[in-house]
Amino acid sequence: MSTDLAEHHDELRAVAREVLAVARRRGSGEEPPPLDDQTLAAAGWLGLEAPEALEGAGATLAEVAVILHEMGRSPVCSGYLGSAVLGVGTLNLLEPTDARDELLRQVAAGAVRAAVGVPTGDDVVGPAAPSFRLESDGRRLRLHGHAAFVPDATDADRLLLLARGPASTLVVVAVEPTGSGLRVVEQQVLDRTRNLGEISAEGVEVAEGSVWRFAADPETSACRLLDRAALAIACDSLGLAEAMMEATVAYAGVRHQFGRPIGSFQAVQHACADMLVQVMVSRELVGTAVELLGGEQPDGGRAVSMAKSHVCAMAVDVVGKAMQLHGGIGYTWESGVHVYLKRAVLNRSLFGSPTAHRKRLGQRYLGGVSASSED
Amino acid sequence: MTSLASPDLEQFRAEVRDWCEVHVPTGWRDAQTGVSDEEFVSFQKQWFGELRGAGYAVPHWPREWGGGMSVGEQIVLYQELAAHDAPRLVLAFVAIHHAASTLLAAGTDEQRSRHLSAILEGEIWVQGFSEPDAGSDLASLRTAARREGDAYVVNGQKLWASGAKYADWCLLLARTDPDAPKRHGISYFLLDMRSPGVEVRPIRQATGESHFSEIFLNDVEIPATQLIGPENGGWQVAQATLSAERGMTMLELAERLGHAGFAWLVEACRRPSAEGLRPVDDSLVLDRLAGFETEIAGLRAMCRSLAVRHETGHVGPADASVVKLYYSELLQRMMNFGVDVAGLAASTRITKPMSSGWESGAWVLDFVGSWEWTIPGGTSEIQRTIIAERGLQMPRA
Repeated sequence: MSTDLAEHHDELRAVAREVLAVARRRGSGEEPPPLDDQTLAAAGWLGLEAPEALEGAGATLAEVAVILHEMGRSPVCSGYLGSAVLGVGTLNLLEPTDARDELLRQVAAGAVRAAVGVPTGDDVVGPAAPSFRLESDGRRLRLHGHAAFVPDATDADRLLLLARGPASTLVVVAVEPTGSGLRVVEQQVLDRTRNLGEISAEGVEVAEGSVWRFAADPETSACRLLDRAALAIACDSLGLAEAMMEATVAYAGVRHQFGRPIGSFQAVQHACADMLVQVMVSRELVGTAVELLGGEQPDGGRAVSMAKSHVCAMAVDVVGKAMQLHGGIGYTWESGVHVYLKRAVLNRSLFGSPTAHRKRLGQRYLGGVSASSED
Repeated sequence: MTSLASPDLEQFRAEVRDWCEVHVPTGWRDAQTGVSDEEFVSFQKQWFGELRGAGYAVPHWPREWGGGMSVGEQIVLYQELAAHDAPRLVLAFVAIHHAASTLLAAGTDEQRSRHLSAILEGEIWVQGFSEPDAGSDLASLRTAARREGDAYVVNGQKLWASGAKYADWCLLLARTDPDAPKRHGISYFLLDMRSPGVEVRPIRQATGESHFSEIFLNDVEIPATQLIGPENGGWQVAQATLSAERGMTMLELAERLGHAGFAWLVEACRRPSAEGLRPVDDSLVLDRLAGFETEIAGLRAMCRSLAVRHETGHVGPADASVVKLYYSELLQRMMNFGVDVAGLAASTRITKPMSSGWESGAWVLDFVGSWEWTIPGGTSEIQRTIIAERGLQMPRA
């Protein structure tokens, strides 16, 4: 990474910390603090990856990763994942049309919220098996299907649904959530910092102009979209683990028992040392995946599965250890450690469990291909 | 991640590849299995000579001494040597890394010109640091050096000296001021192993081999000109140079774990059992393999970052400990898994090739030998304490 880019990321990170700190101060304490679309748009985050011609910042996945990492460090309720990371990410993969450009412009400005209906469980890996299908009855196109745990679905003004078209081609269907035959229902989950919903379509009539094609090979594009989703969660989990490691080290330095700080006990020191080792390894895995996926390298998918499986499992371990080392106070609602633990647990399953991602990696060992890798 | 994609580096990579294809001896693993000490030493010296001829033996040294490669080039070099499963420079390791960095950091011009060129000619070095009562607590070492005229007279015992039986010279830490606080009374010497009073006794280790020795020092005279750094300043010199080389040496080991090491593991998982079943067809085995490949990828990337931070001077106080700890425990877990998948047949491999990395496919020996990584050079427990106290600035015990 060049020095200029590193400095640019440091600035972005500093601004993100400030914006998130302001949001936290506004929170009630009982519920996770909200971060509204106006603030997100004003910070330039919604349109970070939108082309400059459409009033976006023309930035890359590397900058989005910085924001995601900071949001993991300081979880708030926002539509960033659904509308910007996945919404703008999807629109960028599509063939440019007036309708797509207009939506991209509006999402970047915070005027319209998007949500992306894709598989969110273990079916994200492997050949794309979209949740929706588009059927033609000769005269009209009708959409069927069901997607669960879709980020920020219930607040969305526009749904972008990955579907297999009548000719078996993968397309994106852009629909209003209020359309006849469509149902969007909030799914209550223990992690209150996430807004997840279920989208069902039963024979929804779709106009020809709402079926949008991918600019490049549809299967590869869909794969990249799902890899982007998985990597976004890994960035978030890295932030969660890092923040909890820092909080634990700080707490162990001030909490005294037996007449000395608990951080001077070797059992506590060594547990914290293991946290740092895990966080440092995870940083590298996330960094590699961001570079390869962002650079459209052929090994991007492999790097994403490595990062997603390792980092999301690591975060649950680190946050769990943080709760343990905080002792009684760590188990209270007030301490907030539970917020991180619940988000880490949800993250581990969202967009593919560690097992599912490792299964994808493991397919390469079965045949005669060389096992050693280039990077 | 460190980008290694510049056209210059790609050109260099092609050169190293071509060289490896011609020069890496084929079948050296079989040929080096069960060989005598003499054959091992002669093979190592010959391989060192080949690398030196290409300018690949001491890439990390300053240019005027025969090195001068950029960090990017060194990374590429070690990646390609690992990818071509080249033998490791086991015998010259202490000489080209620890001895050289100590000489470059603290040696006089005379000491440098004498030894750096000798090392390039094949001079072998050993580290005489640990003692029976000074292991993790190295600073409590008791080997004493007493000034008498133009020389120091040394008495004491060193332990865990790797490769001592082959060594020409020794990096010796000895106490010159018994009354000073323990870290301020130690001096650093260059000891000629042929000096009268030096006795080397190999220690048989858990694997049955003898990589280590005891060194007994009875009234050994070391000329005062062979003191390196200030008298009583030896601890500080040793601290400054001990971890200096860890970046690139760990990178080399990580690359080897990623190439030969992981390839051996996959191969073991693909080998059908007597019943014709392949471990790799079991989803649990596949899951473990994917986990190891991921951890190796993380380790390799971490080593690349550390090597680059060395160059730019941004090394964190515990970075070397993080890498050593992670590598050694990952190696141990991987070798344990190798034993597991290879089954009973693994126990029938009773020798492993010399000159290999820490992984050779002789799983039981590799597993038992992995403690040679988690114990020496600062045990895993010491590393964790360093990481906590220096890396995370936690309160000291």
